Amino acid sequence: MSYLIPRKTKEKRHTQAGLYVTITLLAMLFLTALLAPILAPNDPYQTNITNQLAGPSSQYPLGTDQLGRCILSRILYGAETSLFSSVIIVAAVFCIGTALGILSGYFGGVLDQIVSRITTIFQAFPRMILAIAVAGVLGIGIRNTILALCAVYWTEYARLSRSLVMQLKSRTFLKAARVCGESHLGIMVRHILPNIFPSMIVTACLDMGVMIMEISALSFLGMGVETPMAEWGEMMSAGRAYLQTNPWLIIIPGIAIFISVMIFNLFGEKLRDRLDLR
Amino acid sequence: MIGITFLSFALMHIGPGDPAEKYLAGGDGNKGMVSEEAIAAQREKWGLDKPFLEQYFTWLGNAFRGDLGTSYSTGRPVLSELMSKIGPTVILSVASMFVILLISIPLGILSALYKDGVIDNFCRVFSFFGISLPSFLVSLLLLYVFGVQLNWFSIMGEGGIKGLILPVAVLAFQSAAKLTRQVRAAVLEELNKPYVRGAMARGIKKSRILFHHVLRNAMMPILTLSGIYFGVLLGGACVVESIFSWQGLGQLAVSAVKSSDYLLLQGIVLWIAVLYLVVNFAIDASYALLDPRVRKGASGK
Repeated sequence: MSYLIPRKTKEKRHTQAGLYVTITLLAMLFLTALLAPILAPNDPYQTNITNQLAGPSSQYPLGTDQLGRCILSRILYGAETSLFSSVIIVAAVFCIGTALGILSGYFGGVLDQIVSRITTIFQAFPRMILAIAVAGVLGIGIRNTILALCAVYWTEYARLSRSLVMQLKSRTFLKAARVCGESHLGIMVRHILPNIFPSMIVTACLDMGVMIMEISALSFLGMGVETPMAEWGEMMSAGRAYLQTNPWLIIIPGIAIFISVMIFNLFGEKLRDRLDLR
Repeated sequence: MIGITFLSFALMHIGPGDPAEKYLAGGDGNKGMVSEEAIAAQREKWGLDKPFLEQYFTWLGNAFRGDLGTSYSTGRPVLSELMSKIGPTVILSVASMFVILLISIPLGILSALYKDGVIDNFCRVFSFFGISLPSFLVSLLLLYVFGVQLNWFSIMGEGGIKGLILPVAVLAFQSAAKLTRQVRAAVLEELNKPYVRGAMARGIKKSRILFHHVLRNAMMPILTLSGIYFGVLLGGACVVESIFSWQGLGQLAVSAVKSSDYLLLQGIVLWIAVLYLVVNFAIDASYALLDPRVRKGASGK
């Protein structure tokens, strides 16, 4: 075994550096989204019929779209929309799913049966179809998109946290805590939650990327945000008609989606390595 | 199963949109044009004025007799509407699944055998792109490169074999990226088990260990995963179908949602539910083929 030891430390340093790089990238991504109103050179909703589909210029660094709006400004405002909606969705499903999963895993019984049954039913559907159905029923608009994706994704967290709790349940430290007079709530918050948190947070990071894609996909199909709103999927959907003449209309937002999804995926993977999961 | 039908039915009824109103207003939503009486009459005709549970049981009862109602938007029976779209989706799914397996299984096995080698690293990058690129971006890029630049395909979508190539490429790329990693993980897990080391120690040929022992055992999780992917594909790929104008279930679902055609959407959801059961059953059945323990009825674990 001795030859494994130096190799392992080397690998660890490698992941450490990778983690810092991805954290920096992530911070830059969020800063871009936060500072969108300051960074954007133009008003993303200002249409200009005389300057449609223009190439890059000093006033419009990435050119203009079919209505003469500044593409760069729309991309920056789109980052704001995508990132913050994704954060809201992931935070919401994380809290609801984890709470339900811990409760049902810890107490078992009828509650567990109900929660498990519901998650099984939800997981029988392809996610996209379910999201489209919910979004379609609720109607378009960013608020409804967020609600639809929450409705579809909370089950994943409930199932994951429940299975993690089940693994912990027989461990002696939980019994010890109970013997020491810890309340059920105390055990769940102080003993179970910290133990399952690493796995949950990695899933949440990877899901941030998924959410960005899903929001854009819904918008692309015309069931996400309302039309004038700056959103990457909506931009691609509108640019689709100009595929032959102006492919940049879809390529630029596409690159924006790819880069942000990639940053979240890299961060999630590095975090998983760092937390020594799997 | 009952739960699935109930969820799908309930889902369609919590929404604020009133199909009767939309139908009469001609989709423009100009409510002022339609009188309240006309809406009420239309609601009565479709049974929308009855209590929720009664509607559910009526629908379920009819569904068992093969009557899924009449589509609100097209006026044709939902069942025939579904039947006409299932064919293309099945063709697309089978073709994609074939390509997915053809890519994922050899690549996954090779990258597990030569861990951290060239193939493994290539697969890592490949699956990373597959996971990070949204399907609509891949589809549009392919359309641009092969449709606009090279002019090999019509960008309006084509029928027949030729129209199959691009959508299959997108679907296969997406799922193969994930499945390759999962095949790799499954094979690696088997390789690390003590029996492999034991067999090596006894001097059994590597190829024999791989094909007779490792792959046989690793096939079980791979089969389950493939089944899930196939099920998802059969449920219809909304984005890809709508971009390539493939007249399948995914596109039907999108148009059903857009026109608040709840009965049609329920029909699609029901099909997916049935599919889910069939796929699960098929996976269970194939376990029996692969694993003698299951076949003999002895407790597997």
